[in-house]
Amino acid sequence: MRCRPSLHSYMRRLAYLAAGGMLWSFSALAFANAPLGSVIENFLMPSLAGGSQSLLSDSNVSVFIFIKPGQEHSNQAMAQIAACEKEMTGKPVHWCAIVSDRIPKAEVEADVKAAGLAMPVLIDQGDTLYGKLGVILHPVIGITDKDRRLVAYQPFAKVNFHAFVQAQIRHALKEITDEELAELLKPTAATLGGDASVAHRYFRLAEKQFQSTNYSQALLNINKSLEKNFTAEAAALRSRIIAAQGGKIEVVVPAEAVGQGAEAGVKSVAPVGVIEKPSNSK
Amino acid sequence: MIRLTKKKMMASPSAKSGFVGQQENGPTRFRIFLPAVLFFMAGICWSAAAESKKAEVSPVPKMRKNDLTPLSDAVKPISAHSPYQDGDCSLCHQNKDRSNPGPIVKQVNAVCLDCHDDFAKVMARKSSHVPAKVNCVSCHNPHNSMQPKLLVEESETLCLSCHTAISNLVANAQVKHDALNVDHKCVNCHNPHAANVEHLLTRLPYDLCVGCHGKDGVTDHDGKVLTNIKKLLAENPHQHGPVQDKDCSACHTPHGGNNFRLLTKEYPAQFYSPYDPKLYALCFDCHEESMVKDPKTTTLTKFRNGDQNLHYVHVNKDERGRTCRACHEVHASQQVHQIRDAVPYGRNGYMLKVNFTQTATGGTCAQTCHVTRSYTNSPVPVQVKTDALPPKSP
Repeated sequence: MRCRPSLHSYMRRLAYLAAGGMLWSFSALAFANAPLGSVIENFLMPSLAGGSQSLLSDSNVSVFIFIKPGQEHSNQAMAQIAACEKEMTGKPVHWCAIVSDRIPKAEVEADVKAAGLAMPVLIDQGDTLYGKLGVILHPVIGITDKDRRLVAYQPFAKVNFHAFVQAQIRHALKEITDEELAELLKPTAATLGGDASVAHRYFRLAEKQFQSTNYSQALLNINKSLEKNFTAEAAALRSRIIAAQGGKIEVVVPAEAVGQGAEAGVKSVAPVGVIEKPSNSK
Repeated sequence: MIRLTKKKMMASPSAKSGFVGQQENGPTRFRIFLPAVLFFMAGICWSAAAESKKAEVSPVPKMRKNDLTPLSDAVKPISAHSPYQDGDCSLCHQNKDRSNPGPIVKQVNAVCLDCHDDFAKVMARKSSHVPAKVNCVSCHNPHNSMQPKLLVEESETLCLSCHTAISNLVANAQVKHDALNVDHKCVNCHNPHAANVEHLLTRLPYDLCVGCHGKDGVTDHDGKVLTNIKKLLAENPHQHGPVQDKDCSACHTPHGGNNFRLLTKEYPAQFYSPYDPKLYALCFDCHEESMVKDPKTTTLTKFRNGDQNLHYVHVNKDERGRTCRACHEVHASQQVHQIRDAVPYGRNGYMLKVNFTQTATGGTCAQTCHVTRSYTNSPVPVQVKTDALPPKSP
């Protein structure tokens, strides 16, 4: 018997769709001749160190980076990829860099050494692989899964390149979810301050002043906190301060909440922000 | 109440060490305590700096040392720290006595985080500002200040006092970016404590840039009206890679520069230009120079007729070479490869239609700049020099 999906399951599907949508918006770019999801042909290519190496792994996630030693962005990318490679040591990732055979070997070796790249550097003779995939720019990274399916394409970025590459590799390794990848590719804005933040500081100050029995200052500061942002925690502290001063314990409800869902019987004794000075206040 | 003058403060050992704001004739234990605190702080600074170096090379290795003396009572501060204002010295110092507060009870940032505990979460972000991580008083005066947010100096001056390379760049730039001088200045784009994006950017570059460049009527430093990029992108689906990647800084330098439109490197401003690779330094930062240098290719570009490289044909001329902008829009267009819909022609800027059509094997440009011509790029046999591995067994 087929069960009717619950509301929770609908919500979950919607969340997956939304996350999928977010990922799609980041995955529009790809190699001209190899869209995301396509299977990349594997090749044995001559290596800078001698002999030949395969471009991709048939059993692990592969990361291949087209670089152009001497080019500013490539040199910056190589340094960041080298750091990435080091941080991910021990993970089942097949790494390689690809350079055109147009660039003199000594120049490639010097730049690779300076960047600290440990991965094999493969020589693309006659820019064959470059043309086959339709690369069109340097530096650029392709990531394939264990089935050699292209799962990520990441051109160089001046900002957050290292974070983007690492996130894409971790996603290919299934270490992070689609939602986590989306967050790393489009990080949450780091805004400054805000009323809630200021209110919290007044709350903490009032709490400390309450502990040191400086009730009058504590009351002033908790009122400032409540003015900025009403929280039950702050309201409770305000009641404790007033009680400590020997005043009447109040239930404080924000003025705008009265008549808008506030429970019956709970009355706004004093609008938030108005300082009630108990008769025996210190 | 004992109020120390600046002269007195600077003469005191604590002032020399950067820890000022204490009573000059403090208790002996303070004199013993201070070196210990300094030693401890130096250790923290060193370890935090080393930790930060792992993630990103810090451009500013040294910490600022500020005069943290409270302002004279005769001066009305712009901002004041609530505990100081309330006379509650013992929240941070050993004594409640304002005339003899004694040393602070813990390491500086630990004291701050006692109340500002929400900053623990902020500082856990991926990219953090080393001074904020190790010493809040690098930028803030814990008593009061003639600046907002208890800053020890005007915000831009404060930032540039350490970030001297940026300061020089800003001062010497031929092309200025007004964003540096309006509203919150540096803080328009950077979070001075910590952020989830490198360089303490509050958002990815594009999301920051469209804050201003996503509006109509924005002008540059010289008063020229700039494109509403947000609108442009909404109307034009085929976008340049860095635009899709939200990386405006791939081509533009936000602090100022010497190329028009704050471009990071040279790019021809005109429709025609003799071919000189130096003029295309911006494009060749990502795109392969041989794409316009090699007369024949089967791999470097799809804009070829057989093996005849049509980028070379258009661009690589001694006199009237067509620059990238002759055929491509730099941000976005209605057509694939950011091909322009029309190009300006004549003195009056008449817009001449390009009439480009993409086909399965290449494309066609109908009569505009030249008679209708088509190209085909797929049937040329490629000499494969790599050895294909056998397909993976299922």
